[in-house]
Amino acid sequence: MPPSRQLTRRDFLRLAGLVSASAVVAACAPAYAHLGGQPEPDLTGPLPALGSAVFTALSRLTFGPRLAERERAAAIGLAGWIEEQLAPETLDDRPAEVRLRQFETLNMSAADLADRSSKLPDEVDRLGVPAELRQATLMRQVYSRRQLFEGLAEFWTDHFNISVEKGDCYFLKTVDDREVIRPHALGRFHDLLWASAHSPAMLTYLDNQANIKGAPNENYAREVMELHTLSVNGGYTQLDVMELARALTGWTVKQHLWRGQFTFDPTQHDDQPKTVLGLLLSPDGQREAERALDRLAGHPATAAFIAAKLARRFLGDAAPPAIVEKARRAFENTQGDIKAVLRPILLDGLLGAGAQAAPKFKRPVNFIGSALRQLNAETDGGPALHDYLAHMGQAYYGWPTPDGYPDHDAPWSGNLLPRWQFALALSRGEIKGTTFNQSLAAAQPPETFTDELARLLLGQPLPAAGRDGLLASLRAAGAGAAELPAIIAAGLLAAPAFQWR
Amino acid sequence: MSLTRTNARREFLQSAAVLAGAVAWPSWMPRLSFAPAQAAPRGDTLVVVFLRGAADTLNIVVPHGEAAYYDRRPTLGIPRPDDQHAPQKLRAINLDGFFGLHPNLAPLMPAWQAGHLAPIHACGAPDESRSHFRAMELMERGVGDERGPASGWIGRHLATLNTGNHSPLRAVGLGQLPQRSLSGAVPVSALRSIADFHLGGNAQAVGQMQAALTSLYAGSEPLSVVGQETLGILDTLQTLDPLGYAPAHSARYPDSDFGLGLRQVAMLVKAEVGLEVAAIDVGGWDTHFAQGGSEGQMANLLANLGQGLAALHADLFDYANRLTVVTMSEFGRRVQENGSLGTDHGHGSLMLLMGGHVAGGQVNGKWPGLRPEQLVGPGDLAVTTDYRDVLAEVCLKRLNNPAMGDIFPGYAATPRGFLTAGV
Repeated sequence: MPPSRQLTRRDFLRLAGLVSASAVVAACAPAYAHLGGQPEPDLTGPLPALGSAVFTALSRLTFGPRLAERERAAAIGLAGWIEEQLAPETLDDRPAEVRLRQFETLNMSAADLADRSSKLPDEVDRLGVPAELRQATLMRQVYSRRQLFEGLAEFWTDHFNISVEKGDCYFLKTVDDREVIRPHALGRFHDLLWASAHSPAMLTYLDNQANIKGAPNENYAREVMELHTLSVNGGYTQLDVMELARALTGWTVKQHLWRGQFTFDPTQHDDQPKTVLGLLLSPDGQREAERALDRLAGHPATAAFIAAKLARRFLGDAAPPAIVEKARRAFENTQGDIKAVLRPILLDGLLGAGAQAAPKFKRPVNFIGSALRQLNAETDGGPALHDYLAHMGQAYYGWPTPDGYPDHDAPWSGNLLPRWQFALALSRGEIKGTTFNQSLAAAQPPETFTDELARLLLGQPLPAAGRDGLLASLRAAGAGAAELPAIIAAGLLAAPAFQWR
Repeated sequence: MSLTRTNARREFLQSAAVLAGAVAWPSWMPRLSFAPAQAAPRGDTLVVVFLRGAADTLNIVVPHGEAAYYDRRPTLGIPRPDDQHAPQKLRAINLDGFFGLHPNLAPLMPAWQAGHLAPIHACGAPDESRSHFRAMELMERGVGDERGPASGWIGRHLATLNTGNHSPLRAVGLGQLPQRSLSGAVPVSALRSIADFHLGGNAQAVGQMQAALTSLYAGSEPLSVVGQETLGILDTLQTLDPLGYAPAHSARYPDSDFGLGLRQVAMLVKAEVGLEVAAIDVGGWDTHFAQGGSEGQMANLLANLGQGLAALHADLFDYANRLTVVTMSEFGRRVQENGSLGTDHGHGSLMLLMGGHVAGGQVNGKWPGLRPEQLVGPGDLAVTTDYRDVLAEVCLKRLNNPAMGDIFPGYAATPRGFLTAGV
């Protein structure tokens, strides 16, 4: 089967109609449009071929490719599109930013967030602040044009996982997201690690508050080596963990005045010399552990671990070793410039594989994100969607252990029912706060509608026999003309093919 | 009945008509295998009942042989089994001459007599905060203090034991959201009722969606196989009629959330849908005020608890060798009753094991005594068995999971012989 065909203008208008924005968005569209950014596709000329290599690559690079993104990538080439995405500051994102203005907790200090959560005496609202962060995150993933950046933010959120269920993390994670993850998601790994190590949320989550002179707690010291930098076989020993823990004594979080601020407490710091990974740390207070962090960020095992993990994110469970090696060298040569590590993975690995890129199972976040983006749905990113995410097993900021949500396929493959429930509810307009327009579908023969929807969701139409078999079984189940569009949409969202990216 | 339906689906799937209508996926459709390299054999179905609010376990399994118990509980004490001043129905039911069951737990006597009920006295956690929130969190996480993993002990059990079971109903939390103890397992289903395991929407839409899914998932690649399994479970559960369900051996579940929840657990066990762990909560145990003794507030809670557990035992009697039920609470209550005819937060508690392989027919654990010098803190029962020793032994002997260090990190669990291994 050819990956695609030239779309005629009439085809495109039908396709655009199918996914045209809902009444609400249509009314708002001019307001967003005048803010600039990418122009909508030019409707006067023929559309470039949207090949399945483009679709496959964009499915991996975005939370589900919108038509405009497929258009743009086909026009300037995937390599050019990736370079655009690697410079997110050049992509006008005001339409997404406007939608985020409603979330006032995103820019509040830790102390203000704590105050806001405990307005009533003896009663702490541990749910409000994380709920807003979750909603904002989903809105960014759906609406931001900086899709690769948002994907990397999600990647580092897992890598430096923090559960809002633990202690004060319910409000500290908002600060961590703003000041650790997002500023450095496409920056230097060293700066990201450094920010994370000084993050009150991370120190709380991994018990470094309890790490004091004479009674060390090894939790953070271990995970920063095992999960954040060297990896479990990265060559450190239990002695290194104990020594680094001692170097980190006194790294803590303020509790009363300036609650939620990082602080170094010299009275709790063990000021005997330590040796971490062969590096002698002479007594120097806070600087001791900072020197160890420098060492960890530049360690060869860290380069190998981060390169392999990023490659798995984009190239699947079995990323080609040659690409991983190229990424590892890029890490070493640039002292951990994340963009430089990504280039071989994306430009050589992903583009080199073309439509043959090894498949990757969508995590719930990608499943919901791609359904909303590819159907051009309008959403408030609100609680109804997060209920579905929770049932699918990926509540944002809810993974309890420091390894982050699994990124390989197997753990996600068994829980199809909530995806099917979501597909049916979305297509029937039964998800509060989320809508998509399918009114034009009624005017088309179901075969055409199915093909166009499949092109939108799967990158290409179903094989004719399969499409006809699906329609035959739906008609046998009593689906009439009025019901077919919704149930076809539900079926394609629930289909095996849509579970892969 | 359910098996017939499942077979019917398989035959239907194999029929020429469906194969002709099956969607032939493009060649780029993945054919990866999800099958695990090595799968451990599945053990028992585990049911964990959590009594939220710190149950007064001294009035559940009553130390009627202790004079100090009656000294400190002048109004709340449960009369001795041979107390001629109290009506028979208000007296403790003698178990071993020293301990007795609260009279409202009489429905549990058949399980006791069958050797399927094993109380373990003076169980608990090292935490002495006497805070519900903190104690429940630590206990569900399976950790001794706030350090350590944020996941739950059951979640870590499931994550460390590969049974090759991909059922979406492998771990079920009865209620609105999965219990904290299940956290860390993927997937976990929160089930308010079996009716939740449903596609949603009206009957017509569901029928059409099932037709679409049957057509779309008719392939033989691994994801289609998982889809067919899920469709099969949907089919099976649709044949279950929660309202018309007739429990075996004349079991009668109480008409409460707890009773309805246990009834659904039993239905899932019998339907063979891959259930490995179910967690269910019973609230209302924080009896600071007007707790009551043989009758009253707590006695009503115990009637519900006893009837529920007894019904589960009877209903699943034929499955007893593949079932372990653990009942636990975050801590016990003060030995001395308070001035409001209630009890305040204490320390040592009780765990109740039920199943075919528990050290049944005896009260287990080391009894620390109730004399003043034997109490801890502000006058509380001491803990002589860490709750993790019990749970680790359940994991080891009944769930085939030897990874005790992963399930209870930082704690060297010691099996105490409260259960036996084998079938």
